Amino acid sequence: MMDIPSIAEAGAAIAAGRLSPVALTEACLARIDQHEKWVHSFIRLERDRALGAARTAEAEIKAGRRRGDLHGIPFAYKDIYQTAGIPTTAHSKLLIEHLPTCDATTVTKLGEAGVVSFGKLATHEFAIGGPSFDLPFPPPCNPWSIEHFTGGSSSGTGAAVAAGFVLGGTGSDTGGSIRTPSAFCGLAGIKPTYGLVSRAGILPLSFTLDHAGPMAWTVEDCAILLQAMAGHDPADPASASLPFPDFRAKLAGGIKDISIGVLRHFYERDTTVTAEVGAAMEASISTLSRLGASVREVTLPPLQDWQACCMIIMLAEAYAVHEPWLRTRFNDYGKCFRDRVAPGAFISSADYMAATRHRRELQERLARVMIDVDLLILPSAPEPAPFTKDVASYGLFEIPNFTMPFNVAGTPALSLCNGYSAGGLPLSLQIVGRPFEDATVLRAGYAHEKATPWKERRPIL
Amino acid sequence: MPAPKPRISREDFDALVRASGLMLSEEQKSDLHAAYGYIEAMRARVRAGGERPRSAEPAIIFNPRVR
Repeated sequence: MMDIPSIAEAGAAIAAGRLSPVALTEACLARIDQHEKWVHSFIRLERDRALGAARTAEAEIKAGRRRGDLHGIPFAYKDIYQTAGIPTTAHSKLLIEHLPTCDATTVTKLGEAGVVSFGKLATHEFAIGGPSFDLPFPPPCNPWSIEHFTGGSSSGTGAAVAAGFVLGGTGSDTGGSIRTPSAFCGLAGIKPTYGLVSRAGILPLSFTLDHAGPMAWTVEDCAILLQAMAGHDPADPASASLPFPDFRAKLAGGIKDISIGVLRHFYERDTTVTAEVGAAMEASISTLSRLGASVREVTLPPLQDWQACCMIIMLAEAYAVHEPWLRTRFNDYGKCFRDRVAPGAFISSADYMAATRHRRELQERLARVMIDVDLLILPSAPEPAPFTKDVASYGLFEIPNFTMPFNVAGTPALSLCNGYSAGGLPLSLQIVGRPFEDATVLRAGYAHEKATPWKERRPIL
Repeated sequence: MPAPKPRISREDFDALVRASGLMLSEEQKSDLHAAYGYIEAMRARVRAGGERPRSAEPAIIFNPRVR
């Protein structure tokens, strides 16, 4: 069976005529045929459409009309991205027959870039309720270990890319839903700056915290995908009308000019991490220092403040989105969704405004710290993927995570692999930048990835 | 980790549920009441540090020019 290339490798091989988009699509479909029965990453596999799109891409490229590095690349969408004529269920009974009439803006953009869509990927129900076993579709399994959690909510994207079913996919991130599955599945995934990538046509969870972004095997692949997804969209009121650079071209150049702040108190005092995660962080700090970055510790308000702010806003906004159905079809939601979103009914307008005022205070504290450093680093998760059976509905409420602060602040945040546990599960590093300095985040991630051997491993299916 | 014990009584919580319009079973109400301690703790944290100035701006922007 064909080795699984990265998007950059496949794009180069297709451009050189060494790889056929049809052969690549067939190889991915063969892998799906063999392993999807236990990975459960797809809600809807569009086999015939994928093969048709691959044939079209191949014909266009042969005719000299190659569109770029994404032309002919196997790809899939988290099932909250609306797709015209293809059901978009949000992994929920409530939308089981929902057939959108138009694409999300990002689906249109990626289609124009030439990706070959394989269909729709599993998610936590409405991007928050999961893993759940009481929904119309099962939760995905982690390709690194069937009994372990993929992370969520972009769970299907994490599983499908790690398994090599597709070379990239979309995620959404309201409190960590791109970065956590990227961390647990050994991928790279970036939550871009709020406003850089359109949310239009993506089913909302929390309007002011939702971010759309790419997940792929490497940081370079994320840069290629972000290039296609980014840009002003009048259909999204939060979309920024700002120029953005060539993210891939900005990857090179090293990090000798970069200063990095380590948020050590987040993972050593405010909460704890496993010894392996701590050791991987120390190794990452050494790697980045060796590459020429200046590294020092910095301090922000406690992690619990960020979590409370994020959760109050998320629950209030999510409840507002779902209130009509929660009142009339409560039991059609999965239990995990109900456990997590129903408490939003009891958040008052004054609570919500207190959280949004606190959000501004936290955002300003972060901005002050980032006057002196270009980037922040910390783990993406406190441990490798836990057993799926051990993931509790109220986990989000109990233990502050390392991803929510950057939804609160809207800053770019990248998760990438920085090692493996003794049990062979991926560990992760998170790199955070100033707003709209996504290119600097990707550059540091790329430098780290090129200096370490972690992308040489793939899950053994 | 057990949920922090909610300060709100079950009776007062049931009144909140009635006002919300949610139609819950007794078991669902008990579960939600048990989880309410998390909401109380997070609410206290976003309001910590005393009253903010009346003019303290939230992190919400309203743009009057619709694009």
